[in-house]
Amino acid sequence: MLFKDQLDFVTQHIKKNKLRVFMTILAATMGCAFLIVLASIGFGLQESLRNEILSNETVTKIQVYGDKQFTDDQVQEIKKIEHVETVLETISVNASAHSFIDDRDTTSTIVLTDMTDFEQVNGKLSEGTYPSKPNEIVVGYHFAQTLLNEADRNAIAEKSKKAEAEGTYYDGSEEGYKESLVGQTINLSLVPNTSTNEETEKMSYTIVGVMEKPSYDWMVDNTIHMDTAQKPALVENLSTLGEATGEELFYSEFNIFADTMENVKPILEKLKDGGYSVYSVTEQLDQMNVFFLVLKIGLIFVGTIAVLIASIGIFNTMTMAVTERTREIGVLKAIGASPKLIQRLFLMESTFIGFFGTLIAVIISYAISFAANAALPLILKAATGEEAFATNDITFSLIPWQLVVIAAAISVGVAMISGYRPARKATKIDVIQALRQEL
Amino acid sequence: MIQVENLQHTFLIGKRGKEKQVPVLKGVNFKVNKGEIVAIVGKSGSGKSTLLQVLAGFMKAEQGSIKVNGKETAQLNEAESAAFRLRQFGFIFQNFQLMPGLTAFENIELPLKLQGLRKAMRKEKVKKLMDKVGLTEVADHYPNELSGGQQQRVSIARALITNPPILLADEPTGSLDSETEQDILMLIQSLNRELGLTFVIITHDEEVATIAHRRFRMYDGELVKEEA
Ligand SMILES: Nc1ncnc2c1ncn2[C@@H]1O[C@H](COP(=O)(O)OP(=O)(O)OP(=O)(O)O)[C@@H](O)[C@H]1O
Ligand SMILES: [Mg+2]
Repeated sequence: MLFKDQLDFVTQHIKKNKLRVFMTILAATMGCAFLIVLASIGFGLQESLRNEILSNETVTKIQVYGDKQFTDDQVQEIKKIEHVETVLETISVNASAHSFIDDRDTTSTIVLTDMTDFEQVNGKLSEGTYPSKPNEIVVGYHFAQTLLNEADRNAIAEKSKKAEAEGTYYDGSEEGYKESLVGQTINLSLVPNTSTNEETEKMSYTIVGVMEKPSYDWMVDNTIHMDTAQKPALVENLSTLGEATGEELFYSEFNIFADTMENVKPILEKLKDGGYSVYSVTEQLDQMNVFFLVLKIGLIFVGTIAVLIASIGIFNTMTMAVTERTREIGVLKAIGASPKLIQRLFLMESTFIGFFGTLIAVIISYAISFAANAALPLILKAATGEEAFATNDITFSLIPWQLVVIAAAISVGVAMISGYRPARKATKIDVIQALRQEL
Repeated sequence: MIQVENLQHTFLIGKRGKEKQVPVLKGVNFKVNKGEIVAIVGKSGSGKSTLLQVLAGFMKAEQGSIKVNGKETAQLNEAESAAFRLRQFGFIFQNFQLMPGLTAFENIELPLKLQGLRKAMRKEKVKKLMDKVGLTEVADHYPNELSGGQQQRVSIARALITNPPILLADEPTGSLDSETEQDILMLIQSLNRELGLTFVIITHDEEVATIAHRRFRMYDGELVKEEA
């Protein structure tokens, strides 16, 4: 029998029992859609957490635990490891910077790095260039926004009050310094966090670059970045306050950067072998992936139970189909249809049910997933009043193609298995008994 | 063409553990030549149908040999037997055994589908044969829209469509009135004459037996030759 004729045969039977087959497909659809949607939560949560981790930190960064200072030799040694792009020393100052321009001023943190290394790691700026001369600095994306004068402060206070009355929050994005900061000179004094509000004498710096916008909407970045060569100047400036020797306010942190994310692992292993206590977010990702693998398997397992319940329907439908057609099967066998062909015809029918059930289930699942991702943040926001949920960087449900393949394999496979016994039964029908049946 | 030797079959009847053996075929011997119409008559319950069913391979004989065109068929398995039927035999049943969901045309086409023929070829063959047996007008009718005689014609056409050398018929006119019976018998006779087809017909009807070249009687589990 040609395959096309087999298909015709099957579709003809299905048409004859439209309602019954439809209900069975519906059950299969529900089982499979349940499986996909349930598992998609696992995939979605994993994706959200992954994005969270990856956007929070530089993926290629290897952090060094403890405040153990590296010697130059050690830094050179680490730099020699394959795929290490750079070892970045970041010096933080336990003092805030008070910057002035015209009638505006702002307070921000200040960090010192080797500007060539920093450029290599940080990459593009939103504006300007990295410093090449002493007394040149790069500032955070929101530096201009936070440079306020008296009028701005009053405006913000007023807008905040209004927003508070409405139950929202005003972030001050409409005020601040409106022109480009590149090329502008600021006066900067330091306020040690340890002492009273004593300020040092003002120093003069030129802004040559502005950093990229931070990855989170809610982050306000007005950090001042300057070259490590400025450290002596800052130390001297601070020492005029007298009480602390400037040096104590500086501490270094070393970060090692790999050239690509894939190379983080081997470097990490080498460093650990070398006795360094190091850490990378990729390790966290690995642990997380193991956890989510288990979670996803669990969810798929639970979803499979729904598919199995639906398979009872398929089994019943196919058993009925075989019983109903006993005489016809007898005639087919009598005129020379092989048992194999008869088995195949019935297996095709149950496979058809499984296949269409899956097809519809996939479409429905994508719709549900899309709707859930769109609606859940709004519902959470309404329920908790928390603004953070409204931003759409949380994925509740994600259906990657792998999940579709797994679910399709499970539900078509289960449909075929549950159709197998009825199909076997069809091949075992006795011709003589079948032909005896009345019409 | 067909050679049956010492064919034996016993049924087990009754409740489990208390079965009774009913020997139905007790060593049947007979021969059918090519181009013959052979009639098998006998009392009800004498085992005529059983003989035909064993011959057709619907069930396995306990013992004995069946040779069809020189091929031993008594020990074929189910799949082999089905394939053999599809090539060698056409079946005509008392109650026609048409597929209720298929039209007359589609019923006749069915064995060709099983043989894996392409649609265009099937169409041509079925049309030709329907013309020959006088069914062209009712090609699109479903079995329940056909008279008994028409249904039996469809059933005969279905048996003929694959050009099998042998046709096996169990009471082919048993459900028809005498006028229709005559029609069908004439059709069988003309097919036998024109195409040289071999027929084995089971009947208890003397009328049917008249068209046979030779006649056997089923008696006490054995087949006895009768003078025509
Ligand atoms: N499946 C079966 N199981 C047990 N006994 C059977 C079975 N089929 C037939 N028999 C017995 O075998 C005997 C022969 O039956 P068969 O149908 O061959 O008779 P027949 O000659 O065709 O009769 P009729 O002319 O009434 O059709 C009967 O006694 C019947 O009871
Ligand atoms: Mg009988």
